[in-house]
Amino acid sequence: MGVRLTNVAKSFGSFQALKDVSMEIPTGSFAVFVGPSGCGKSTLLRMIAGLEETSGGQIAIDDRDVTAVEPADRQVAMVFQNYALYPHLSVFENMAFSLRLARRPKEEVNRRVQEAARILQLEDHLPKKPSQLSGGQRQRVAIGRAIVRQPKVFLFDEPLSNLDAELRVQMRLELTRLHRKLGATMIYVTHDQVEAMTLADRIFVLKGGVVQQAGAPLTLYDDPDNRFVAGFIGSPAMNFLPAVIEAREGERVTLRLEGGDHRFETQLAGDAALGQPVEIGVRPEHLQIADNGLPVQVEVAEELGDVSYLYARTATGREIVVQRQGSRDRLDGQTVQLSATPRNVLVFDAGGARLR
Amino acid sequence: MSPMKRIENTVLTVLTLLAALVWIFPLYWTFVTSIRSDENVAGNTSILPDEFQLKAYLDAIFNTKLTVWYVNSIGTAVIVTVLVVLISMLCAYALSQIRFPGRRLLYGIVLGSFMVPAQTLVVTQFVLMNDLNLINSWAGIILPQLIAPVVIIVYKQFFDSVPKEMREAVVLDGGGEYTILFKVFLPLNWGITTAMSIVTFIGVWNAFFWPFLVVTSEDMMTIPVGITQVNDAFGVAYARLMAVAMLAALPVIVTYIIFQRRVTEAIMISSGVKG
Repeated sequence: MGVRLTNVAKSFGSFQALKDVSMEIPTGSFAVFVGPSGCGKSTLLRMIAGLEETSGGQIAIDDRDVTAVEPADRQVAMVFQNYALYPHLSVFENMAFSLRLARRPKEEVNRRVQEAARILQLEDHLPKKPSQLSGGQRQRVAIGRAIVRQPKVFLFDEPLSNLDAELRVQMRLELTRLHRKLGATMIYVTHDQVEAMTLADRIFVLKGGVVQQAGAPLTLYDDPDNRFVAGFIGSPAMNFLPAVIEAREGERVTLRLEGGDHRFETQLAGDAALGQPVEIGVRPEHLQIADNGLPVQVEVAEELGDVSYLYARTATGREIVVQRQGSRDRLDGQTVQLSATPRNVLVFDAGGARLR
Repeated sequence: MSPMKRIENTVLTVLTLLAALVWIFPLYWTFVTSIRSDENVAGNTSILPDEFQLKAYLDAIFNTKLTVWYVNSIGTAVIVTVLVVLISMLCAYALSQIRFPGRRLLYGIVLGSFMVPAQTLVVTQFVLMNDLNLINSWAGIILPQLIAPVVIIVYKQFFDSVPKEMREAVVLDGGGEYTILFKVFLPLNWGITTAMSIVTFIGVWNAFFWPFLVVTSEDMMTIPVGITQVNDAFGVAYARLMAVAMLAALPVIVTYIIFQRRVTEAIMISSGVKG
């Protein structure tokens, strides 16, 4: 196992930043910790790096307990959000820094730096100082500094946050290629769910110091365990509407929306009491304009060419986003009716847990 | 540029020039007096140099202990500067980067000592040095001058401003505190160390009060104290006195001319104008 956390906890005074976190990240996989600010994802990464002490639990890398091991001896390398390059040293010396501290032979230092530079296409920049490089190049140097150490685990703490949108997309692709080329275990922290979806083999969604759900990106997207994950993964976010369970016939359940007499149907295998207040969740791309459905007033329509987003409001004032493919109809200010097929209607109980 | 702005600039320039003249005049007068003969000094109110001779300088060099005082001053200033910068840097690093109990209290004491005028400590320091038998000794001259809270504060501000990721990157690269301080933090801005060294050196070179109190032996005096000894059987020899003063000021003047920008920067940093 690449990285295994067992009941890991972290407290800052009386504040519990992480509560009983357990997870397994297989060797060679790309794991992403995602969640809103303050959810504990960076703290968790820093604990794996050894930069934060644990308040409880165990951290193992390659099946070796490293909970009390010094950061430099954990065989991890970290890429920071602000790069943390040494500005007074050249790109070469930045990348060679850890090897020189470890007193590696000169030829080995040279070979490993050149190899990392080749992988990251930094050969021409080796004599330069970090201040002479662009944001993307600096980030590559930071990654290069990690590569030369040949760590067992690469840790990335929101490494693309300081880059502009275009460069972020480019670096995302480069990271995926790099992961395939090196085959190393990588753990990546981000608050951007698009980065999480595009990079990860396995996503860990955190909130309030607790792992809400872990799984493959599309599993989290299609089959979220709770309302938080359903709302966090996906852009635009899932629509939520309060409802009550009105009728049940086997697995077929009828849900009546609050404050109106419109109904959605879905399938639930588990317990669901009649009259139980719930919330239904439907993704924007799963809502269709129909002849008979939930009436909404379109306030704004964003036409992006291949896709358009309708920002609409129900009679009870709930905001709803609808995604349409290839449509050229101008619907601003119009009232339309929306429907969804039963298998795309998710149900969450009052506590936010998914009813299946 | 508008006519009003031009007038404003001219007035400001004239005022600055006048202020500069007031500051430079004592130095000029010292120089003019030092190139006159002793007989021509008393009662001479001429502002312009009416005589040029180096007798006072030769007299100062060969008939006083100027060279001894010079060596003493250089030795004291260099030792104090090196020790002050090193001790203050290490102290500031610990206060800024290492978490230990009492850290805030310790920094509070450093800040507090910055607010106590040196003169109020002189009696205590003198008694202490006397009890330690350090009067008329190099340790006696140097030790009390090693207390430099302003250097600690400036270094701490600088270390505080370095992103914590820089420290963490070194830790992950396998470096300890020595590597963090000497191989990463200090090279990030040698300007701070240069500035602090210059300010400390000039301060120690010009120090008069403490060396004057702690040293009575002429062979251990620094230049500012030595100047008080430049008189002869007939009283104060003004030309010679001014020649010694000029020679005493020479290193500071040369330092200033060479490191003009650094000195200005150092004064700005240590006065808190620039961080």
